[in-house]
Amino acid sequence: MNAALGLSLVIVALAVLAAVEGARTARRWRIGRSARVDWRTGLAAIPKRYLVDVHHVVARDPYAARMHALAAGGLIAGSVLAALGLMPPLGHAHLFWGAVALAFLVALAGGAMVGRRRYPAKPARLSGGAFQRLPLLLAAYVGGALLVALDAASGLAGPLGWLGLAVAAAGGFGLVRQLADGPMRHALAGALHLAAHPRPGRFEGERATALIPADLDAPRLGVAVPADFAWNRLLGFDACIQCGRCEVACPAFAAGQPLNPKKLIQDLAGSFKAEPPTYAGSPYPQAPPVAGLGGPERPIVGAGALIHPDTLWSCTTCRACVEECPMMIEHVDAIVDLRRFQTMELAAVPAGAIPALSESRYAEEPGGRPLAARTDFAAGLPLPLIAAKGSCDVLLWLGSGAYELRHGRTLRALVELLRKAGIDYAVLGPEERDCGDLARRLGDEATFADLARANIATLSRYSFRRILTADPHALHVLRNEYPAFDGRYEVIHHSAFLDELAADGRLALAAAPAGRLAYHDPCYLGRYNGETDAPRRLLDRLGLERVEMERHGKRAMCCGGGGGAPVSDVAGERRIPDLRMAQVRAVGATTVAVACPQCAAMLEGVTGDVAEVRDLAELVLAAVEAAPVAQGAAR
Amino acid sequence: MIPHAEALLKPLTIKGLTIRNRVMSTSHAPGYGKDGKPQERYQLYHAEKARGGIGLTMFGGSSSVALDSPATPWAQISVADDSVIPYFQQFAERVHAHGAKLMIQLTHMGRRTKWDTENWLPTISSSARREPASRTIPRAMDKNDIRRVVRAFAEAARRCKEGGLDGCEVSAAHGHLIDQFWSPSVNHRTDEYGGSLENRMRFGREVLEAMHEATGGDYVIGMRMSGDEMLEDGLSQQDCLEIAATYARDGLVDFVNVMGGQARDEMSHAISLPNMSFPVAPFLFLPSAIKREVEVPVFHAQRVTDLATGARAVAEGHVDMVAMTRAHIADPHLMRKLIEGRDDDIRQCVGAGYCIDRIYVGGDALCIQNAATGREATMPHVIAKAATSRRVVVVGAGPAGLEAARVAAERGHSVVLFEKDDKPGGQINIAARATWREALSGIPRWLYAQVQKKGVDIRLGTEATEAAILAERPEVVILATGGLAHTGFAKGAERAVTTWDVLTGRAEPSGSVLLYDEIGGHNAASTAEVLARKGCLVEMATHDLQIAQEVGTTNKPIHLRELYKAGVILSPNMELIEIYPEGNRLVAALRNTMTEAEEERVVDHVVVDYGTLPVEGLFQSLRAGSVNDGETDLDALVAGRPQRWTGATGYALYRIGDAWTGRNIHAAIYDALRLCKDL
Repeated sequence: MNAALGLSLVIVALAVLAAVEGARTARRWRIGRSARVDWRTGLAAIPKRYLVDVHHVVARDPYAARMHALAAGGLIAGSVLAALGLMPPLGHAHLFWGAVALAFLVALAGGAMVGRRRYPAKPARLSGGAFQRLPLLLAAYVGGALLVALDAASGLAGPLGWLGLAVAAAGGFGLVRQLADGPMRHALAGALHLAAHPRPGRFEGERATALIPADLDAPRLGVAVPADFAWNRLLGFDACIQCGRCEVACPAFAAGQPLNPKKLIQDLAGSFKAEPPTYAGSPYPQAPPVAGLGGPERPIVGAGALIHPDTLWSCTTCRACVEECPMMIEHVDAIVDLRRFQTMELAAVPAGAIPALSESRYAEEPGGRPLAARTDFAAGLPLPLIAAKGSCDVLLWLGSGAYELRHGRTLRALVELLRKAGIDYAVLGPEERDCGDLARRLGDEATFADLARANIATLSRYSFRRILTADPHALHVLRNEYPAFDGRYEVIHHSAFLDELAADGRLALAAAPAGRLAYHDPCYLGRYNGETDAPRRLLDRLGLERVEMERHGKRAMCCGGGGGAPVSDVAGERRIPDLRMAQVRAVGATTVAVACPQCAAMLEGVTGDVAEVRDLAELVLAAVEAAPVAQGAAR
Repeated sequence: MIPHAEALLKPLTIKGLTIRNRVMSTSHAPGYGKDGKPQERYQLYHAEKARGGIGLTMFGGSSSVALDSPATPWAQISVADDSVIPYFQQFAERVHAHGAKLMIQLTHMGRRTKWDTENWLPTISSSARREPASRTIPRAMDKNDIRRVVRAFAEAARRCKEGGLDGCEVSAAHGHLIDQFWSPSVNHRTDEYGGSLENRMRFGREVLEAMHEATGGDYVIGMRMSGDEMLEDGLSQQDCLEIAATYARDGLVDFVNVMGGQARDEMSHAISLPNMSFPVAPFLFLPSAIKREVEVPVFHAQRVTDLATGARAVAEGHVDMVAMTRAHIADPHLMRKLIEGRDDDIRQCVGAGYCIDRIYVGGDALCIQNAATGREATMPHVIAKAATSRRVVVVGAGPAGLEAARVAAERGHSVVLFEKDDKPGGQINIAARATWREALSGIPRWLYAQVQKKGVDIRLGTEATEAAILAERPEVVILATGGLAHTGFAKGAERAVTTWDVLTGRAEPSGSVLLYDEIGGHNAASTAEVLARKGCLVEMATHDLQIAQEVGTTNKPIHLRELYKAGVILSPNMELIEIYPEGNRLVAALRNTMTEAEEERVVDHVVVDYGTLPVEGLFQSLRAGSVNDGETDLDALVAGRPQRWTGATGYALYRIGDAWTGRNIHAAIYDALRLCKDL
């Protein structure tokens, strides 16, 4: 018996212990509802999903990527090799132990990086508590093992090896103890989550952002208690490593509203445990107190439960958290599931959302405005009705922004451009109902389904090649969420459409200087639909000085206007659009180009040192009007 | 952001005619008619509103349908024969090109006109009762007159339709022939056209029936009417409700255009065209009441000066269309600015009544603050950029200087604006201190906001010295240093203080005050009101025939009402000849200009208004160094051509506004616009 053999045995023992802990953890997921999982494909795909998809997210923070590669890679390689040391020829080979030592040395370097990130001062986004002990346990296990391996490699077989073994055993035991409810849970749950992910399309190059329709015949609508979640959702919550990337990205958190996506996932992960593990990260800012009681069959949301309703209604559904999550957790799905129960079973929606939902239901328009008034914005412009024409090439979907003066200007510009480009267009006019986006994000799936079916029935009566809209929310719903209701359309956003027209030469553009300009990506266009290039291509045709904000493209910050947040109106310490406008001004932009009615409304509401808010259509129209051929519209 | 603005942007369809939004301009008489026809000036004035986004513009207030309602007063339009049709066609084409609709008002003015004009025909009415405003005693109409006038209305309506106008309204408001039949204050007939309200409504009914018949029944024909004559023996609100409801129910009118009051004499005329002493939309309750009784759209005009009020009127359902007539005279691009989100750029009507007051003395309608209105052929509402950018220095931030700086900045020049006071506005700041004249402050407020927005380098609290001006290496220097009040030329004038001294608080008279006025404008009248309200015993004397002689017909009655109420003694036809001390009081010697009899007043203070004299010092010192010796090419100025000096070898020097010669706000702004639009 030597220390090296001891290490091999300890590792095998730890593996057995880990298997027991793992089984205990996995058993807790079984309380969840069943979910259809393609295990064979999923398990086979883990290496690719891990090395490509997860790495793609992790690598946005290169330090973290190197740290994780060294620590995890070294630890797994060293441990597996050291366990192989039980096989006699290997166990006696100095060279073999040299290789083991090298693996643990790599792991130790990774562990040191983990430590350096947290000591002497830990960044606010990282959790403390058990996470602060992680680098110590790591160092003990891999450091101790390194000593054992060095001892064996050198052939000394001295007391140093035994000392190393003792330290490694203690550290390893500590790590395994972290497997059920500590930081190390992410390794087990994270790997399984990759195999059993509820949106496998995300690993197949799809944006996979459409909400999954709720079964409206189910005995309970939405999620009230942890057991209402599908089991692989519970698995997803357990995969969280509390890295806090979501917290940094969350606009509501930044505005001091009572939402922190990291804490939310932790609350959900704790909700189905007998005793929720202590949480040592940032709280929900300004959140009203809750009882903090959890349990598989206890309500999740409520003052007497774990999560205050204000937390739920603060979310703008911008998906910034999802976009940043290296563990591929689906925060927004969880929020919408919880909202569905609050809205449809309890009718417990924020006061401001009540009229929006009841008008959506009874007037088929969240503002309760007559459907025929949707075209008022175009008074004086020709706006043919498809009912009169029967068919058209481009059906212009106006959206609820058409009722607002600000977006009305955008739509007027767009209609002008369609005329100038000679497009065969038409609108539904009084037959266009609300697309249902607001109702759906607020959890009213029943109203959404009614609106979707009614709109699909209307659209089925007409012939058109594609649908054009200047509203990314409508775009998302029509393009991605109506297919589940058998409405399949080619839907194009006006940024891409105008870019097409400009590329084809159907719109002649002249330089229309507008000072320094920054483009603000709408969440539902950039993150939800991956469309970040067309708007930029289009703007670059206008000969503008375009600058990028630090947060742009798929990682852009939300304006605060999505998910019903403006009607829910949960108080915060700051306003989201103020923060975004400050980012615009920070890059010296005097104009912010928008491509969404919500963004325009939110950013225009900012006061003080502001940039001018112009929709792409307005900028393009100015460029078309500045072009020599288009002149001659004087008195 | 204007609350409920979307209510204004909703199209309105009347009998198949779709008007693109809910904002209109009512028919009025700007005095632009020529030979009884709406010619280029008239058409361009309305085309500008169409270009500016208005939904419906109505022209030709009181356009006459018959020879005994002459078109000469107020340079009106005659629709009494077919020769007007080609003008209508050209007019309609001009307005339709910008997407707006065009309608006209048709009327027979009955007794509310003059017999001694082009046709020398007697005036007619329901009964032979004198109208105080026109001082005319009409002949009571017989059946032939009624038949003839009914036919004339029908023929006129046909001409409107053939002329491509989108519709017309008959005027049954302001005491025209139709309401001369309605109103028991005029109609004392005993036949089927007099007596009961039903009988009094008969003539109007016949007119409207004949018009619909002549136009085929599908033509939009509306009616302008009062919602309450507010006259003891006139139409009550209940009468007006019944008239509107009956005519609408019987399909005689496709819209009703409701106003409050009537216009039979000076005071009622001033009330029917409310000036800045009234709150906004003072009579909105009248169309609102009628709207509850009729199915046809209801229009209304009367001091709706801002879009927020207009939007409220429509959004709350008081009216279907809001008429912002004077608001469009101040800014014909009102709606375009709203739609483009530039509502902060709207030049808001201040209710000075300058436009309408000029018409009633036979002039043309001009805006006190927008010198381009009514001059569309020569003056731009949207200033074009100049080919080359120049360095321009403007001295003085009164209305002239602010307008000069605004226009020069719009031209793309780099402009420095000096003002020695710590706030812009010049003499308007003084005038606006006088009770109900406060709204004048809106004029510099808009101009100042514009020059700030256009990036003018504004130096408030900075006196422009010759050195400071030259340090800017200017190519053009514009002096808008204004004028200063003085105490006049009577013997002992140094013992008097000016109206400026009173309004600015430099003098605080108490006891008895003689206020002597040689201008006849608002200044002295409003200062007298201020003094009387402060408790002084005030006598206001003037050389003129009448107190506030130069003040127009919508403002003078308000001045007189306030002066009478405050107990001011009014002494016209008196000249101030001497002021001398007696003890610690003053004796003012006055001479009656008719009898030459002299009278003396022993008073505590003498306040005088002799207008202003230009501030000239800076002009004299800059003149020698200028390329033009301070001369303005008047031919070029009047013709709207650029001045001939380029400033390439030095600076060109110009004077505008009261710095040139003391006149009024419009003159100051017009000086600035016509000089700077070509810089």
